[in-house]
Amino acid sequence: MSIYYYLAAFLFCLGLLGTIFKKDLISILLCLELMMSGVALLFILFSKSTGFLGAQLMVIFTMIISACEVAIGLSLIIALYRKKQTIYTDDIKIITE
Amino acid sequence: MAIDIFLTIITVIFALMLVFSKRTVVSAFALLMTLLTLALIYFQLGSIFLSAVQVLINAGAIAILFVFVMMLINLEQFQNNREKSKIKLVISTFTMLVVLGVLALVINNNIETLSVNNLTDNSMNALFSKLFSTYFLPFEMATVLLLAAIVACIVITTHEKQLVEEETELHKMEPKL
Amino acid sequence: MFEMMIEILIKTVVILGLPLGALPLIIHVERRGAAFMQKRLGPNRVGPFGLFQPLADVAKFMFKEEVHPAHVRPFFYTAAPMIALIVAILPLACIPVAAPFEAFGRTIFPEVFRSDMGIFFAFAASALGSYGILLAGWGSNNKYSMLGALRACAQMVSYELSLSTSVVAMIFVFSTNDIHVMVAAQQGYWFNFIPKWGFFMQPVAAMLFLVGIFAESNRLPFDLAEGESEIVAGYHLEYSSMKFALFFMAEYIHMIALSTLFIIMFFGGYNLLPGLELIADKIPLPIALFQVASLVVKIALMVWFFVWVRWTLPRFRYDKLMDLGWERLLPIGIANLIVTVLFVYFRN
Repeated sequence: MSIYYYLAAFLFCLGLLGTIFKKDLISILLCLELMMSGVALLFILFSKSTGFLGAQLMVIFTMIISACEVAIGLSLIIALYRKKQTIYTDDIKIITE
Repeated sequence: MAIDIFLTIITVIFALMLVFSKRTVVSAFALLMTLLTLALIYFQLGSIFLSAVQVLINAGAIAILFVFVMMLINLEQFQNNREKSKIKLVISTFTMLVVLGVLALVINNNIETLSVNNLTDNSMNALFSKLFSTYFLPFEMATVLLLAAIVACIVITTHEKQLVEEETELHKMEPKL
Repeated sequence: MFEMMIEILIKTVVILGLPLGALPLIIHVERRGAAFMQKRLGPNRVGPFGLFQPLADVAKFMFKEEVHPAHVRPFFYTAAPMIALIVAILPLACIPVAAPFEAFGRTIFPEVFRSDMGIFFAFAASALGSYGILLAGWGSNNKYSMLGALRACAQMVSYELSLSTSVVAMIFVFSTNDIHVMVAAQQGYWFNFIPKWGFFMQPVAAMLFLVGIFAESNRLPFDLAEGESEIVAGYHLEYSSMKFALFFMAEYIHMIALSTLFIIMFFGGYNLLPGLELIADKIPLPIALFQVASLVVKIALMVWFFVWVRWTLPRFRYDKLMDLGWERLLPIGIANLIVTVLFVYFRN
């Protein structure tokens, strides 16, 4: 069971890596989702080790929040694509120009 | 114990595939597989309800949204014409290693207290009596958040002009009685 | 341990193998039923009543040359039919075919995967149903396939909402997630002749679920995914021989799985057919056999209902389909859910 703690930490960090170096917005959202699932796994493990049931409810809340995040993020991407015909972070630099 | 290691290895492989694959659809497929293996891990840890919810919501709805949007946007027109920035990769790897090191250190120091099993009642009844008593306010707030997200999605993705045009066109198509 | 493994193996082979084995028969019923409704003869040449026609079709599917188009994405193109079939079979694993019975000195649960929230797992598995279609459409690298897949996926996601509202209403009515408890609650009669089926408690939820099944399994009147007149054949346009047959099987098995869930929640599941109890008492056979027979008869009636609807109603227009899902069925489902919750709250 203890190996899952390392797995959760690894998933979180891998998601972090992806969010930094990926270039298109959809991949960044995918990596955020990976981070979220790492945190959810950690919550379940904590609930097992401490015997505290509320931690498992936090997993349900993480799922709700990630659903909202993904829905809004994807609709923003679609709106952006309609306006600019791109989804790459490098192309979106109105502020610097 | 063997099954723990097996599931961990599979999850790690799919997670690596998610981050390092060049095609975004492959990434989305890897995310789906990661979520499913995580559901298996939840099942193995005894949270049966959460594993069902994970399959139902995360794999059944959220990952579908990703694939759906990818198909609406033709991603292949962008592919293979982007130069890689080495600095970004180095920085992100460094960040990842630092965070992973800190986390692994914390886990390593507390591994004895973390790997005991103190959970006695893992049933759905216990879970939901907790949800509807202690955690009722966060639960209600989550429903409000979902409602706000629905409204936001509709507002963001529809142009007002486009909506009016579509409606008039549809009315023209209706047969008159 | 060894006995456990043997038990699980037998259950898997019987419960998951039976629908696959019954498929040729269902396809035959469908074709003959179509002919019957259109005043034709239908396939009646091979064997008695044309019963061997499906077998001939299977042989043809197996020995036909497999065309692998050059422009497809190979991995997804090959994986999609398998994923579609596996995902379609999965919900059957949680569905019991009889009440738990005593045999060989222990209680045997006649389902592959025993859980006290079986209904959740069945729906979780059937929520994955659109992946096979989506991957097929994307892997084929063809505009018609892609359009068909997008249509199918949008349709399945939107009808799943109204389907789930009716399921939640039924969970409230029975106050349980356990399929065995659900079925046991539907035993007996009101006024000695109306069976206590979920259909008579929740007719609105039953209608929503029924419409949902048609949309989820992409059957007529909702088979927009393969509307021949507009998009040739939809997501399986590029598939031939056995790969096409896998999609075909997946569609039928998805239909069987969903209609079994419908029967479990609304038509008494494996409870004996009304009137059969009187006969079952007198015949010295185990009651489980009668229960399996009742379930099979109910599923057969459902399959006939599918065929009947298929050749009666015309196909919907796509925007009408979406209107029906989002603007009619979903509000009705939510209103029904609220009324049910209030009723259950004040009953207790």
